[in-house]
Amino acid sequence: MTNTGKDTEDTLRPLKNGFSALLPKVNLRQLKGRIFTILSYLSAILIVVVLLFILGTITIKALPSLNLHFIFTSESNQPGLGGAIGNAVAGTILLSVFSTILATPVAVGTAIYLKRYANNGPAVKTFRFLIDVLSGTPSIVLGIFGFLVFVYYLKSITGGFSLISGSIALAILILPVIERASEEAINNVDTDIEAGSYALGATKWDTIKNITIPSALSGIVTGIVLGTGRAAEESAVVIFTAGYTQFNPEFKVAASDKLLFGIKIYPFQDLVASLPLTVYNAYNYPHLVSSSEAFAAAFVLIVIVLIINAFTRILVWKRRIG
Amino acid sequence: MNNMTLSRSESSAPKYLFTFCTLLTAFITFFFIGFIFYIAYPTFESQGVINFITGSVWNYDEHVYGIRIYLLGTLILTVVTLALSVPVGLFTAIFLSEFASPRVASIVKPLIELLVGIPSVVYGIFGFLVLGPIFVNYVSPLTVSLLGFIPFFSSGVGVLGMSLALAATVLAIMILPTIISISEDSIRSVESTYREASFSLGATHWETISKVLLPAASRGILAAVVLGMMRAMGETMAVVMLFGSANNIPTTFFGTGTALTSKILSDVSFKIANEEARSAIFAVAAVLFAIEILFVGLARAIGGRND
Repeated sequence: MTNTGKDTEDTLRPLKNGFSALLPKVNLRQLKGRIFTILSYLSAILIVVVLLFILGTITIKALPSLNLHFIFTSESNQPGLGGAIGNAVAGTILLSVFSTILATPVAVGTAIYLKRYANNGPAVKTFRFLIDVLSGTPSIVLGIFGFLVFVYYLKSITGGFSLISGSIALAILILPVIERASEEAINNVDTDIEAGSYALGATKWDTIKNITIPSALSGIVTGIVLGTGRAAEESAVVIFTAGYTQFNPEFKVAASDKLLFGIKIYPFQDLVASLPLTVYNAYNYPHLVSSSEAFAAAFVLIVIVLIINAFTRILVWKRRIG
Repeated sequence: MNNMTLSRSESSAPKYLFTFCTLLTAFITFFFIGFIFYIAYPTFESQGVINFITGSVWNYDEHVYGIRIYLLGTLILTVVTLALSVPVGLFTAIFLSEFASPRVASIVKPLIELLVGIPSVVYGIFGFLVLGPIFVNYVSPLTVSLLGFIPFFSSGVGVLGMSLALAATVLAIMILPTIISISEDSIRSVESTYREASFSLGATHWETISKVLLPAASRGILAAVVLGMMRAMGETMAVVMLFGSANNIPTTFFGTGTALTSKILSDVSFKIANEEARSAIFAVAAVLFAIEILFVGLARAIGGRND
């Protein structure tokens, strides 16, 4: 009996010793945890502070230049560059809208084909990889591609630096954005409802038209709007394809012996300004465009992109509750 | 759905339409990728791929084209950018997935997403006009006086603040949202049984994070870093405005350099009509593109899309 008691004591002793030996170690472990917890909080705080600093600085520096006259008047009404951004606001809207119009049917059509018609074989997998490559393309590479093909080789059709060159190049940029979002939206469609549609004798096209597209619509529209935002903020593509002009876009047809059929269709074959390049001008020609004007143009550009992004958020949110 | 056979007669027009869209997308993609390499090919042929990549002389008059300076400029810039943004991004992702209450996360996350909505040219002008003077007056003197004994930090910044440090700082801010959102998603998607098992073994919260959650989420985090890296390498406007355009490799933190993208931007306008020079510039783009294709493959292999 005594033996067993001694045994228990013996087995407990190292545990006791071990425990007390562990005590400072536990503190060290907790200390380590605390340090990294603090680091995590600091990182998050740092990012929020940086963001508020960026947006705050831009807003404060923009305020002196920011007024309705500045936003809606064309630069051509002011001496030299700068002074107003109406032409760039109009140009940015034209470029992003036209590129979206060009890209959307092709992108959505491709997504429907890949998700509902194609089999998921190696060819389709390779194709998806290529679309990923296209979506990760550095924009400058797309920019010089557009420069050489649309502005240089096809000058007689596109008019060189023009709205049409810029829109086509931007359409290629946003095509994969819209395509991927549409594929994902179609992926989320409830296949039971589609099966129900087929069971009722509906054809494939009937099902796609009446079930698949309506169910995926908010997701597809989210992708389209995302693409529009991408097009609006892009600068490296626009600088080599759309050019820049101090004048507002015009709507007219004029004779031109340099172009095919001898006519020039405004605004499509004409130069077009854009806000990102207005901002860039302040870097390139600081004596012409003041820094306050650059920040005002940046402010308007951010607001436009934010409105577009807010629109997508509302769509996503609606989809979640509806 | 795809193999469903249809007994009712169906118009095949929609199918042809969608097929046409897909073929058009395929044509655009192939034409675009092919065109870049087609225009670049004569340069690779005349210079040799190895010489083109390792050569340090770029001279239109002597018909010698080597991109070592620009390639190293891009690589060094990318490495410093990652060194600045990965720790902050990872800790923020940990904060959002582990420490933040749902309320705090719902405030911080949209704010971080705001960073995505800022166009790169705006980052550029902000870095040039706002951060530049701060770097010249405060960051550079302070860093040099504190860390000047390390060769990398031995010399201060130039007049306008353009430097590796400035460009990398701004790029780091630009790629943070990518790193944070993807890392956070992958930490969140670690199965909760892992976490519970770790806690039940007596691990502290931090030990659970560092020894269980992060290793389990490592593929997603790595994919996030690769995507951020791609964004940093492909960025043009902010780099042109902040990295300077010195024809040398940056050897110090506050030194200047030229990236592949800035070389393309600064030269292409003047040389578009010259066939040889144009080909050389497209060859720079082709190298950039090849690196990007490699990274897209890498990102997919380590945990990109699973379709």
